[in-house]
Amino acid sequence: MAEVSRDPDVKPELPARSRGVIALFEENCTVCMLCARECPCWCIYIDSHQETRQAEEPGARERRQVVLDRFAIDYSLCMYCGICIEVCPFDALFWSPEFEYAVTDLTELTQERQTLGEWMATVPEPPRLDPAAGDGHA
Amino acid sequence: MNAPGTPPAVDPDWLDHVVREVRATTGVEVCVEEESFSGPGGGLERGGVGPPTLDVPADRWVDVIAALAHDLGYRYFDWLSAVDELDQGFAVVCHVAKLGTESPEAQPLRHLLVRTRVPREAPVLRSVTGIYAGAAWHERETHEMFGIDFAGHPNLAPLLLPEEFEGHPLRKDFVLAARAAKPWPGAKEPGESDESGPAARRGRRGSRRRRLAPPGVPAPDEWGPRPPDRGGDDG
Repeated sequence: MAEVSRDPDVKPELPARSRGVIALFEENCTVCMLCARECPCWCIYIDSHQETRQAEEPGARERRQVVLDRFAIDYSLCMYCGICIEVCPFDALFWSPEFEYAVTDLTELTQERQTLGEWMATVPEPPRLDPAAGDGHA
Repeated sequence: MNAPGTPPAVDPDWLDHVVREVRATTGVEVCVEEESFSGPGGGLERGGVGPPTLDVPADRWVDVIAALAHDLGYRYFDWLSAVDELDQGFAVVCHVAKLGTESPEAQPLRHLLVRTRVPREAPVLRSVTGIYAGAAWHERETHEMFGIDFAGHPNLAPLLLPEEFEGHPLRKDFVLAARAAKPWPGAKEPGESDESGPAARRGRRGSRRRRLAPPGVPAPDEWGPRPPDRGGDDG
């Protein structure tokens, strides 16, 4: 028999792959814009600028680098499809089971990189490989 | 409609019986899933997912549904809605059922879709509220969403949309305001921001590269109401 949830007095035990919110692992983001372009809800906002890095070795050319200025997800538009996570080639986006982010104003549902980054702490470990995985590839 | 994963086994004898009875009662040459209606795979064909579909001419819409309800026992009205089929007008679909008896062998539950088509220029159909009172809300919703008139409906007031709403949101030429009023967040290239200014966003800096367009959203000049001479060139 199913038990009655006692949330919020007792935190619910959420399944490992719960789709609560989307967390940002900023160090992995290269500002390729793929997530913002694939998002069917148009709810990912990314701003960035280019910086020129001086050459570290003599004779080497200076390098241009894209620096992230803003990464925000508007959860009043997001439909939790996870396409941004799927499409990210650099594993910068993760599902987090975090769900307690209710606000009283719609505009406050736009979560900036600070909060998205803090949610990384709530991202569970990836599930272990199937015991048989890897067999025959030694 | 049906339990997932269990396509309904259509009993051809039953379906032939329904068609024969409707023809005998109304004189209407109904046909089952006319192939040209929405193309192969486009409709709810026999053997496909969902109940079999009876196609009827628009001027006999009420007669056929009345015969099904009163003479053939299809007393249960499930829903009524429409499909915008562009140049081919609107398909209006009504789902009715004949409830089964306690022993399904004696009389099983039967589902039927009745379908007709009204032209885009004059989308009018007679109301079936005289047969199923519960169809009133469905016809109101279909009226506001597709702009189809139901002659004889007691009160075609909007059901879900506010009184002052303009347009018919489920028509395919309806411009989604959220996609027209807001710039696409994916239009920016890596290294760009909103602070780059409108000139940069128009592509002054990257003018050699064609600006990306949001997938699935046509350009403003190919979307929304347009002159009739350009209406059919995009298939």
